Amino acid sequence: MYVRFLSWRYLLRRRINLIGVMGITVGVGALIMILSIMTGFLEESRKTVRGSLSDVIIQPLNLPRADGSLVPKSAERLLEHLRPDPRIEAVSAHLSWGGILLQTGWDVSESEYRLKDPQGSELAFAQFVGIDVQDEFQATQLREALEREGEYRIPVDDVENPFAAPATHDEPEFYEWVVVGEQMARVHNLYKGALINLVTVVPSPMTDELEPSSRKFRVAGTFRSGENEIDLSRIYLDRWELSDFLSDTHEFTQVLVKLKDYEQERETIEADLSSELAEARLIHHAKSMEVRTWESFRGPLLGAIKNERVLMGIMLALIVLVAAFTVFAILMMMVTEKRRDIGILTALGATPRSIMSIFLMIGMWNALLGCSLGAFLGILGAIKIDAIEQWLSATLRVQIFDREVYLFDHIPSVVSPIAVVAIVLGALLATALFSVIPAWTASRLHPIDALRAE
Amino acid sequence: MTTSNLETVLSAEDVRKSFRVGEREIEVLHGAHLELRARERLCLMGASGAGKSTFLHVLGLLEQPTEGRVQLQGKSAWELAMSERAALRNRHIGFVFQAYHLLPDLSALENITLPARIAHSYGTVPFDKKLHTSEARDMLERFGLKDRINHRPNQLSGGERQRVAIARALILKPEIVIADEPTGNLDTATGDKVLEILFNEQSRRNASLLLVTHDERLAKSCDRVLVMVDGQIEADSEVMIPQ
Ligand SMILES: Nc1ncnc2c1ncn2[C@@H]1O[C@H](COP(=O)(O)OP(=O)(O)OP(=O)(O)O)[C@@H](O)[C@H]1O
Ligand SMILES: [Mg+2]
Repeated sequence: MYVRFLSWRYLLRRRINLIGVMGITVGVGALIMILSIMTGFLEESRKTVRGSLSDVIIQPLNLPRADGSLVPKSAERLLEHLRPDPRIEAVSAHLSWGGILLQTGWDVSESEYRLKDPQGSELAFAQFVGIDVQDEFQATQLREALEREGEYRIPVDDVENPFAAPATHDEPEFYEWVVVGEQMARVHNLYKGALINLVTVVPSPMTDELEPSSRKFRVAGTFRSGENEIDLSRIYLDRWELSDFLSDTHEFTQVLVKLKDYEQERETIEADLSSELAEARLIHHAKSMEVRTWESFRGPLLGAIKNERVLMGIMLALIVLVAAFTVFAILMMMVTEKRRDIGILTALGATPRSIMSIFLMIGMWNALLGCSLGAFLGILGAIKIDAIEQWLSATLRVQIFDREVYLFDHIPSVVSPIAVVAIVLGALLATALFSVIPAWTASRLHPIDALRAE
Repeated sequence: MTTSNLETVLSAEDVRKSFRVGEREIEVLHGAHLELRARERLCLMGASGAGKSTFLHVLGLLEQPTEGRVQLQGKSAWELAMSERAALRNRHIGFVFQAYHLLPDLSALENITLPARIAHSYGTVPFDKKLHTSEARDMLERFGLKDRINHRPNQLSGGERQRVAIARALILKPEIVIADEPTGNLDTATGDKVLEILFNEQSRRNASLLLVTHDERLAKSCDRVLVMVDGQIEADSEVMIPQ
């Protein structure tokens, strides 16, 4: 009981303890806040990636089988096979092809400027995605992406018919219309009706070789998926138009599948569909990863965010460790400073064990105060991060979280109680361990030597 | 008052104590012995460096003797477990040091009640904040420190500090008070006042007082005087002072 009394008194009378408390507060607070934000990012990206990729992606391998046969060139048989499946809500065929985007007419200098760039970093890779609009609306969130507000949005005239020429466009028309990502429109200064040149290489139907090919299109509007990479590079156009541009060598490259209940099917759907479709000879082989859920498709990306979270956690745990070091140094100093007190206490009847407890407890007060304060501030910070960021941005006049560039229009954060408890316990344990040496040193002092201390 | 027929509260037999200084062992106490009887006032005198303080530390259970026995409460104190010995020291011995030795972070009142808080942890005397506080206040009042109750040691004069230290030594009503040159750091007038307080309290409480001093005058107010010479109590040094 006098142990608690004295340890508390020593804590309050030595202001330097505040530094230890503050260190632990900062460490614990930052850990909780940053991990909450990283967890938020992870969960939010799962949602975003899911939206643009649909639940399952089927990408048949275009290789001859042992008997020389190939998977069907047309998507129709695959789509018809999948549509009646009770697990499946909607399907949509994609024809994806890579290339670059160049501007034409008065705007050609924009493209030239990019082509001359010594680092090539401004050169715009474009992913052409040919779709059947109504199927796509059923299977993915394209409709939402077309309607989503954004600073650089160019709305299409008719969402139901996004590749139609705008009513205001009365010139005789030679070109087909495409929808580009909002960030792409921003980067390339595109506008409604802008003429763009899509350049790519295409397998020649005669020679089986890849040959350069280009075609001009007009911009009908933009979409905003919320995923920056996609908004920066993707161009949607009619699937048959793209097939025509590719000299009819391909009709589809993937089929996107939306399930009725993804959570229920996620474990089994890959294997089930693979063997079913291989049986029906609609994919190349049951074991060749042609059917993948969006999670295994985006595995590396999600894994990267997870790794980043672990790395961040380790870095911030080091702050807590440094804080525990501070407590160690402060306690060590106090033991030296309190030598005489230790001698006096022994003369009054205190045991070495209780003297050890006094110093251990000072460490624990440091940890307890730091942890409670840190947990409080960390959780508060995680919940109010958006307001904090806006205030900071306004005060420092620097855009810290650019909502135009990032995946999300708010900073996501998810406070996990288990993580909070683990962090607090970890900090308590670290401080306790670091307090042991000073406390032990104190208990080992010879009372008479200690009394002689000046 | 004669003391020879009274019971012994603290005794030392054949106490030897040596210190290691570098390579060498230096023996400071060469078989010292002492009997402190109930309610007596025993003066220990001797030249500087004779080993008086060392002997007091052994008697006060603060310094382990190399050889010999210390008897307290019918127990051979240095053969007990450390915590038992600490409990004995806490409950039965009050220390007054030359350098006061108050805790600088505690107020006068808190310093005085500290031994009671420690006793609570042994369960020997339950700490009763009200009771012990009022007892401490009473003592401070008697000692003329009524207005210094919440002062910290560094806000007190030397004489005032020593009076607080005396109150601390007495709070648990120990049978034995050990004082090592309690007036050594004080001027004569202040020292006399402090001693008067110490002697008054001793008589009030019927405690035994073991006092180390260099002050010849003090010997006159003691029941017995022992002289320590070179680590031993001189055989013929037991001087009875008729009261
Ligand atoms: N820890 C120690 N290590 C080595 N020698 C010590 C130690 N403590 C005491 N001594 C020696 O023991 C001898 C007796 O010391 P002590 O303090 O008991 O003398 P004293 O009689 O109290 O003297 P004074 O009247 O000056 O206080 C001294 O010579 C001192 O140097
Ligand atoms: Mg001495």
